[in-house]
Amino acid sequence: MEFAIETINLVKRYPTTARRGREGHFHLGPARIGRVESFTGLLKIIKGIRGPFIEALRGVNIQIKKGEIFGVLGPNGAGKTTLIKILCTLVIHDEGEAYVNGFDVKREPNQVLKNLQAVLPESRGFNWRLTGRQNLEFYALLYGLNEKEAKERIDYLLDFTGLKDRADDYYQRYSTGMQRKLLLCRSLLRNTPILLFDEPTVGLDPTSAAEFRDLLHKKIAHEEKKTILLSTHNLFEAQNVCDRIAILDRGKITACDTPNNIRYLMFDEKVFNIAFVDAIYDDEQKKMIEKLEEISGVHGVTPGIDLDGNFHEISIRVDKNVDLSSILEVVMKSGLKIKMINTKEPTLEDAFMAITRQHVEPQENFGSFGQRS
Amino acid sequence: MEIPIELKQIIAFTKRDFYSWTTYKTVVITQIINVFIGVFSWGVTATYVNKPVSQMYGTGTNYISFLIVGIAIGNLIMPLVQGVHSQLNPWTIETILMTGVSTPVFVIGNVMWTYIFSIITFIPYLLIGIYVFHVSLNANIASVIVAFAISAAILVGLAMISTGLMIVTKSMDPITWIINVLSNIFAGVSFPVIYLDTIFLPGISTISWFFPQTWVYHLCRLAMLTNPSLSNPQVLVEFLKGSVFAVILLPLGYKVFRWGVARSKREGTLGWY
Repeated sequence: MEFAIETINLVKRYPTTARRGREGHFHLGPARIGRVESFTGLLKIIKGIRGPFIEALRGVNIQIKKGEIFGVLGPNGAGKTTLIKILCTLVIHDEGEAYVNGFDVKREPNQVLKNLQAVLPESRGFNWRLTGRQNLEFYALLYGLNEKEAKERIDYLLDFTGLKDRADDYYQRYSTGMQRKLLLCRSLLRNTPILLFDEPTVGLDPTSAAEFRDLLHKKIAHEEKKTILLSTHNLFEAQNVCDRIAILDRGKITACDTPNNIRYLMFDEKVFNIAFVDAIYDDEQKKMIEKLEEISGVHGVTPGIDLDGNFHEISIRVDKNVDLSSILEVVMKSGLKIKMINTKEPTLEDAFMAITRQHVEPQENFGSFGQRS
Repeated sequence: MEIPIELKQIIAFTKRDFYSWTTYKTVVITQIINVFIGVFSWGVTATYVNKPVSQMYGTGTNYISFLIVGIAIGNLIMPLVQGVHSQLNPWTIETILMTGVSTPVFVIGNVMWTYIFSIITFIPYLLIGIYVFHVSLNANIASVIVAFAISAAILVGLAMISTGLMIVTKSMDPITWIINVLSNIFAGVSFPVIYLDTIFLPGISTISWFFPQTWVYHLCRLAMLTNPSLSNPQVLVEFLKGSVFAVILLPLGYKVFRWGVARSKREGTLGWY
């Protein structure tokens, strides 16, 4: 199967002036700096392939299917931007392979660029002294669109992104949200099947960010049927927009699955809460708790009792796949009046924190989840 | 007939820079004023100094003609000397390269508007020279075209070398800086290079002929002041000597520019400045 994007053992090293990497953070190559020992060394300096290096990507493997919205999640410095820049031919990788619609990013950059467009917030590429429309016309010409095609496409995109009314304003008068929308217009000008977004909602206010996500999800992915690779550290965005996500940590993919599966990747259990009305914690209730603890799949039961001895709720840590009916059966037999039932499941944030900070230990507090060993 | 995409792309760059330029109204006015101030100040000085240049360009010309033509040429070629690096910044280079434009289109596109503008200002330079300072032009059109073509090739080559190095060094590249500084002395911008032998040491003017800029000024002045025919073997030899620089510098510039971009991509510093 040909993937929209595929990387195989992708490695990228950046030269650094640091003599030693911080332990556990950077992986340095041969650390020989200062003197030129030989002619070969001089050649390596000229070619820019002499150490020491920071390993920004350490054998990254991803496969993105056509039409998929794929998120790359990671903390700052994880290698997300490097990955995106390699895919859009702005950075050359050192080892491994990367393909865009079957084209090798190193050997066939021109074909790659005909298949994808990237939205990199830090490289706007717009002239502040031109209007939004003039800026788009400039890029349309660079992409080789003829005048008629360019006009139609620009009009369509300005309408599509809601910028039509401000199209003839100077770019310098645009708000951050409008600038981001113009970036989106530019990335869609060529109508490529793949779009890459690097932190697309950074710097946007919550309303603009939500609007942008909506545009991305509903219009670009579903109406325009684009494959989208989205790098973000916004977990909410990843969970709501992406079909699958990969967690990139210190240059390595540490997890790759659907947001729902990722949530349970690090956790075996969820918390089941039952609130009661007018219950007193007595021997009957103690027996009920003992019975609950005997049920297969129940990891722990914690009664919620206030200072007056009122038994107001019970928290049951259960296996993520447990049949809750057996628990409910025991509770209902006890004759307690149930006020409310809810389950607290691990969030993507819980999983992300657990994956990127492997040292986090399961806590004993209410509502915490048992982490996989 | 469909216009080739490369030409469309160069037009796109030119239009972008023209539109942008027209929004800087103060700059437009000051640039026009500069043309007049520049040519008047040099013209007045030259009128009083009036050094003979007959030794190099024959008796039919004088120092004022030599100087004003030199200034006009300097103005014409300046955008090419400066190269694309005035247009380079971290916000645009990555985006422009992602459009897949070729290296020649990137370089030519980024200098085209400033070059067109300098051609426009070239005319008032010459008109002021002719009507106010009595500059005597004795141009051969075919030679002027060939001289301009060779000059453009030399200077685009230099511009690409300079830009390629600047993409790597992220500042003024030392090679171009040295060439520019030495060219101011040796290239014969404001006096014939043979005067170097009188000012400094006998024979030192030989160094001048190793600077590509010397050939740019020399060939353009030759074409505009001495009515040279390309069928004249002596003239042809001069043009061929200048062409050698173009033949070397143009592909070398292309290589250096590509090397600079490739190295920046390897180091991940393309967008850094």
